[in-house]
Amino acid sequence: MAGIYIYSDKKDIVAELINFAKESEKEACVITFKQEDAEAIKDFGAEKIYVLKGSSQVPENYGKAVAELLKKQDADLFAVGATARGRDIAARTAGYLDCGMVSDVSSLSYREGTVISQRMMYGGTVIQSEELKGLCVVTVPAGKFEAAVGGETVEIITIDVEADSRVRLIETAPVLREGTDITAVDTVICVGQGLDKKEDLQLAQGLADVLGAEIGCTRGIAEERKWLPVERYIGISGAVIKPKLYISMGVSGQVQHVVGIRDSKVIVAVDLNEKAPIFRAADYGIVGNMYEIIPLLTEALKNA
Amino acid sequence: MSYIIACYKWVVDEADIRINPDLSIDTKKSKGKISDYDKNAIEAAVQAANILGGKSLGLTFGGPETRLSLKDALSRGPAEGCWISTGEAAKADAAVTAKALAAAIQKISDVSLVFCAEGASDTYARQTAPRIGAILDWPVVTSVSKLDIEGSTLTAVRKLDDCLQTVKVDLPAVVSVLPEINDAPIPGLKAVLAAGKKPVTEIKAEELGIDFSPKTDVTEIKGYLMNRKNIILSEGEAADKVKELAAYLRKEGVL
Repeated sequence: MAGIYIYSDKKDIVAELINFAKESEKEACVITFKQEDAEAIKDFGAEKIYVLKGSSQVPENYGKAVAELLKKQDADLFAVGATARGRDIAARTAGYLDCGMVSDVSSLSYREGTVISQRMMYGGTVIQSEELKGLCVVTVPAGKFEAAVGGETVEIITIDVEADSRVRLIETAPVLREGTDITAVDTVICVGQGLDKKEDLQLAQGLADVLGAEIGCTRGIAEERKWLPVERYIGISGAVIKPKLYISMGVSGQVQHVVGIRDSKVIVAVDLNEKAPIFRAADYGIVGNMYEIIPLLTEALKNA
Repeated sequence: MSYIIACYKWVVDEADIRINPDLSIDTKKSKGKISDYDKNAIEAAVQAANILGGKSLGLTFGGPETRLSLKDALSRGPAEGCWISTGEAAKADAAVTAKALAAAIQKISDVSLVFCAEGASDTYARQTAPRIGAILDWPVVTSVSKLDIEGSTLTAVRKLDDCLQTVKVDLPAVVSVLPEINDAPIPGLKAVLAAGKKPVTEIKAEELGIDFSPKTDVTEIKGYLMNRKNIILSEGEAADKVKELAAYLRKEGVL
């Protein structure tokens, strides 16, 4: 059966993609790999729910089986939630189908057999618009569509398939996050390579304490200097945040970083270099020595 | 001796991209560079080749400008380079790129492991490794933050959104690594000089017998403008600037 086929390991995105299929006036067919995952979404409003049953516990190992199902069902589009698992299975499926794929769309619509999409390039400097015809694959980040409001419970169709058993799951461990998730807080203080030494993180902590903020950083601070855990770095390959207030100190503002903050409500930058690109991305900026500015700011905001 | 391949991309340095007032983009002044994250993929291949007793090879696909990349790539450690040369790379989408790389891997033939970065710093599409795996019908392991090789078995820790997952796979396989997998060294003068003497093979893309028509149709490319207030306090005493900023922030209601 034609229709928009959907997969995500996040239930919220499944609901959003079901709504996208409905907006596109197509049947929403959700693919899962476990009976319980199918049960969990059976009243989300999809027209069909499949369980592809095979021997692997790793969804990504079903790329070939998904490609075969899509071909057999004459699917219009495979829309996948843009998570680590989702991107992998989406690209593997596209590889087996030798079809087009657009990753991490910033906007998406489907009209008369054509996918119209936009996505960011060059770390967010450029927006690229693309069109794809025929069966193709897109990955869609969370929050691009309203969630479907739900519907009648539908029948779950189980198909026995062959999974790629060559990649064997040994162990799963929860990600140990140090402190609070920086994508979930209202205020983030971000440190960059303008910071001279690790002990100076104390400066950021002082301001963070006053504002009830969490500390984030640029990629260099986490991956090169290793002063903060990688979960704390903000940017295209790290965390993408949208706090109410973002304050940077000693951050130059390379595009790869800025793309991770650009949905923040208010962006504030403190840096010595007047020409630093961060000021072009900021609502408010102070050109000055952060070792002087940040303690003053901390004091000034104490009674805010 | 089998090959351990690192796929890398020669990209436009995004820091040099200018956005014109009409939002068209100007890359004329942009220099090329090895995609940032690919440096870690190259280092992973060099390390794996040492463990496996194989030969590390840097593999790239691109137009004439890509020739410049080989010396840079080889200064980072691989024993050999291979360039799939084409005039069409600018138009190539992820489908074409993966097919070209996979065809070259088949041509090189004795390959035990292929490394890619998660994504390239221009497109960051994160498709190449899974697509190559699908085309070759090899097992794929993505988002790898740590890996061990013992005999011909690779054990990898994958960093997923909600968990760390340990998987095992027998080689050959395609692996995409996260930048945190290793510290990619900055090549010293000696390494740069040695790079010029390493063997490089050029494969003409046409010889690979691939369909070079992209599957996606790019309809528009335009610059993204940040729409921000840009109130920058650069003059005067630090204390006054801070006071002024605090007043703005109170008015914004974000404190």
